[in-house]
Amino acid sequence: MAFVNYESREIQLKIVYYGPALCGKTTNLQTIHRMVSDDSKGSLTSLATAQDRTLFFDFMPLVADAVEGFQTRFQMYTVPGQVMYNMTRRLVLRGVDGLVFVADSQWDKMPENVESFKNLEENLRLQSDDIEALPCVFQYNKRDLSNVAPRHYLDFLLNNRRVRRPAVEGVATEGRGVFETLNMIAKLVLLKFIREYSGKQVEDARLVLA
Amino acid sequence: MAYSMGSKDVRRMRRILLELLDRSEADACVVCDQAGHVLAEEGLESQDPHLMSALGAGVFAATRELAGLLGENEFSSVVHQGTRRSILICAVDEQSLLLVIFGTSANLGLVKLYASPAAAAMRSVLDRVRARSEEETAPPGHTFVLRQGAPLFGAGK
Repeated sequence: MAFVNYESREIQLKIVYYGPALCGKTTNLQTIHRMVSDDSKGSLTSLATAQDRTLFFDFMPLVADAVEGFQTRFQMYTVPGQVMYNMTRRLVLRGVDGLVFVADSQWDKMPENVESFKNLEENLRLQSDDIEALPCVFQYNKRDLSNVAPRHYLDFLLNNRRVRRPAVEGVATEGRGVFETLNMIAKLVLLKFIREYSGKQVEDARLVLA
Repeated sequence: MAYSMGSKDVRRMRRILLELLDRSEADACVVCDQAGHVLAEEGLESQDPHLMSALGAGVFAATRELAGLLGENEFSSVVHQGTRRSILICAVDEQSLLLVIFGTSANLGLVKLYASPAAAAMRSVLDRVRARSEEETAPPGHTFVLRQGAPLFGAGK
């Protein structure tokens, strides 16, 4: 749930990167943190195991000059992808304003992608949220590997709804698609916030995103 | 959905926090919601309030789940005690938390004693904020304008 502080002229929004284990959620945040300028970011904090697997979440604040007269602060989180950490994923999802679903493009990871997406839908339902009502961007990651499914197959599996969500092909380790994904979800979240909060009719999202 | 605070709300919350710091001799305090958003803070020096809120909200949410496993409705507060600094995290309401950071010069009992009425006072401010947010959107005449043009984020940007 977005929060507006008129005193400090700040809007706070929460974006969560979701997806199966080892799909590249943490790598996305690490790449953003490495590449974005110092004045746009806070420190990247990872609550991870000794093996560098996410245990609770990764967190990084990002600041942008996105809305006139306000500082926009995006609170960026990842969830742990491992199946056993479902309770933790539910905690991180609370108050979410936008989602990036990072899918592993490798053929043998398709069942895990589907399972993770179903888990996301279920966890949102449990907190009375609906994925249809939330801004969401798909990132099909690891496109540099040889055994990847074609994009249309990933669309068919994960993004096969009445209204298709934006999907980006990525290689998060190299930074490919990382900022495209980030900018897209940031814009969608802002458009939803403005539309719902100020009651302002925003032009077709595709025009703004173009 | 969104909720907002104006100058009056912020002043009320600051007054409550300053009074808490004064009475309990704690160093700093932060009020955050369950999403980890910072609603108010006083006294923090080098610490990042947003990181404190994110971690505090995570810790408290996990503690609530532990309480549920033990058949408790909730643990109303959590204390982490260090050798030089400690932190008390207590529920303001279902959706918000109060984090109080204190050093060795402050007494945990005293911090707990004053944190409780501070949380109650904060609850009444936040109840009003939420009730208002359910009824209205942005203040009349206010329009948020999205900046167009270059992407928000990029390498070196």
